[in-house]
Amino acid sequence: MSSPLPQRIALPFFVSWKVFDVKHLLFAVAAIACLAPPALRADVVDEVLDDQILPGMQALVDSSAYLAQTAQTHCTPEGGKLRDAYDQAFDDWIQVSHLRFGPSETKNRAFALAFWPDSRGKIPKTLAKHLQAADPALLEPNTFAQSSIAGRGFYALEFLYFDPKAASAPAAAYRCTLAAVMAQDIATTARAIQQDWQNSYAAQMRNATGRYQDEAEVKQELFKSLNTGLQMLADMRLGRPLGRFDAPRPKRAEAWRSGRSQHHIVLALQALHPLATALADGDAALIARLDAAFERPTLRALRLEDPILAGVADPAKRIHIEALQQEINDLRTLIASDLGPALGVLAGFNSLDGD
Amino acid sequence: MTTRRGFLAGLLATGLAPSPSWADLGGPAFLAAAKTPQGGYLLAGLSDQGAIRFTCPLPGRGHAAAAHPQRPEAVAFARRPGRFADVIDCRTGARLARLEPPKGHHFYGHGVFSPDGSRLYTTENDFENGRGVIGVWKVARGYQRSASFSSGGIGPHDMLLRHHEAGQQIVVANGGIETHPDSGRAKLNLPQMRPNLSLLSLDGDVQDVMELAPDLRLNSIRHLALSADGGVGFAMQWQGDLGADLPIVGLYHPDTPPRLMGEDDPRLRHLQGYGGSVAFTPDGRKIAVSSPRGGLVQVMQIESAEIIQEIPLADVCGLATTASGLMASTGLGQVLTLDGPTVTHQQSHDLAWDNHLIRLG
Repeated sequence: MSSPLPQRIALPFFVSWKVFDVKHLLFAVAAIACLAPPALRADVVDEVLDDQILPGMQALVDSSAYLAQTAQTHCTPEGGKLRDAYDQAFDDWIQVSHLRFGPSETKNRAFALAFWPDSRGKIPKTLAKHLQAADPALLEPNTFAQSSIAGRGFYALEFLYFDPKAASAPAAAYRCTLAAVMAQDIATTARAIQQDWQNSYAAQMRNATGRYQDEAEVKQELFKSLNTGLQMLADMRLGRPLGRFDAPRPKRAEAWRSGRSQHHIVLALQALHPLATALADGDAALIARLDAAFERPTLRALRLEDPILAGVADPAKRIHIEALQQEINDLRTLIASDLGPALGVLAGFNSLDGD
Repeated sequence: MTTRRGFLAGLLATGLAPSPSWADLGGPAFLAAAKTPQGGYLLAGLSDQGAIRFTCPLPGRGHAAAAHPQRPEAVAFARRPGRFADVIDCRTGARLARLEPPKGHHFYGHGVFSPDGSRLYTTENDFENGRGVIGVWKVARGYQRSASFSSGGIGPHDMLLRHHEAGQQIVVANGGIETHPDSGRAKLNLPQMRPNLSLLSLDGDVQDVMELAPDLRLNSIRHLALSADGGVGFAMQWQGDLGADLPIVGLYHPDTPPRLMGEDDPRLRHLQGYGGSVAFTPDGRKIAVSSPRGGLVQVMQIESAEIIQEIPLADVCGLATTASGLMASTGLGQVLTLDGPTVTHQQSHDLAWDNHLIRLG
């Protein structure tokens, strides 16, 4: 087990963001960024690896190890140590969840951490089966790692901790042990991803002569992950609960059971913003446009005051969520038109308008 | 050694010159539609290494094409709702004729020749009646319209010819989506949509209809591939909510229930609900699907129905079987071969390749 959780600012969903002067915070960050003269800029790929990916993966390893440790002795999340541990590890995952290539795709690791969306309700079905069978063999880590992917990861763990039915399952002891095994499995998977990054994948991105033929391909991979993250935000995190005006689907909000839906939107925007900035490679005018285009949805997401996006079903609140989705789609358009071409990525002829 | 030219000259001298054939072309192996950097459209013949053998301008965006079984002649179809299909002499790229659908119909972008080359079949929308139609054209009479019959469903898209003990059959992917030119490509019937795969005789008699389970009724069956043993591979495009976990590729043999590939594998969602083209590997043991939205080709093992390989390829769409594996084309102008685990960039053209790659011969 690694050292306890390093002290970082954890902001669980229930902490009102209003207490922070967000606008000034953003300006402060922007001001710091401006201090670095262009001549000293690091290579784009190094910057993304050293300032974003590698520390992000390390944070996930640390916080998921702490979660696994905490889950061994705690089983109810309400207002305590387990809740904090769960929130921190989940936060750290969301912040790297757009990096869907290489280490996260090996052996379906990203799906093992995050099976979402779950359109066919596989998570509750799988967990109901596990709780019903209460099979001790499943609690053996290697067996668990081979079990259905829908029964693993942060979303399955959320269900065990926060769904009232699961929480009141008759075999309470089994549920608690299962949750602990699940948390340990998350930590193991996170560690495997981070190890691959550290031991080989980062080097393959820095010296693009094998998996990536040149630096342009590496940047295109990073650009793709930026788009993956924004698409996830607009189409899944917002689009799924929004549904249609006459048929909103609030229960499709991500992680609503633990009240983290709104928070994930903020986290994702905050993780994607520096990636976009780095890919702009010192183009000050473009960076200014990106900053403005990120700031709009980020501020709006922070101000929603709707942790589970229940507002999708309330016309007065829905317009803000729709506006947020629109701002994120505007951001996607800006990135496709202004950032993509510089990286050799043109709008998809087939992907946008196939038949 | 007799040179080819000398041999042909000899034949000419004896008055035994054969009518032109595909062998005269210096080997275009595939046809593909594309968009040019100037915003024009064309049909190209490609060698089996992806080199361009000829191009022929098209008046609008193309889609698939049909190759005449004997003569070096192909019909390039406009993309739906298409108002033209151009018959092209593939030796020169010259246009021989232009087909226009009957009043009240438009093409869907696909068609096939009868095995003897005497007839051309086209998928069409009889849009005033909301009915899928197969149009029949007599080749010898300069592609004169001769008949039509029901496609067996709404929104027929891809079609293939299948050899069967009892004769030839037409396989039609009835995508199930009703559209009308007045509303462009808007989908008019999603609440009632029910795609199917229909097996028809060459005269239009319905011999079998395959429908998937009702929970997959929004999965539009769109594109087809045929394996050597007569199996039909189909690729689908999901019309329902994003983020649903769905099969995109299936296999159909008449008289046996359809099989869906990769079910319960979360990697299905990498396809983003959208199969572009579908193709079998030459040994018939694997089936591959392209997804431009997902930016990848996924390969499935037929026996186990498992996903066994993923090949990331930005804006990939065209996909076809080659002698040794698969060929793929992308909207970024790339042509690649996929032979087992080996991905080889063959060519890069200053064109945006559209769906599809149509194999000749």
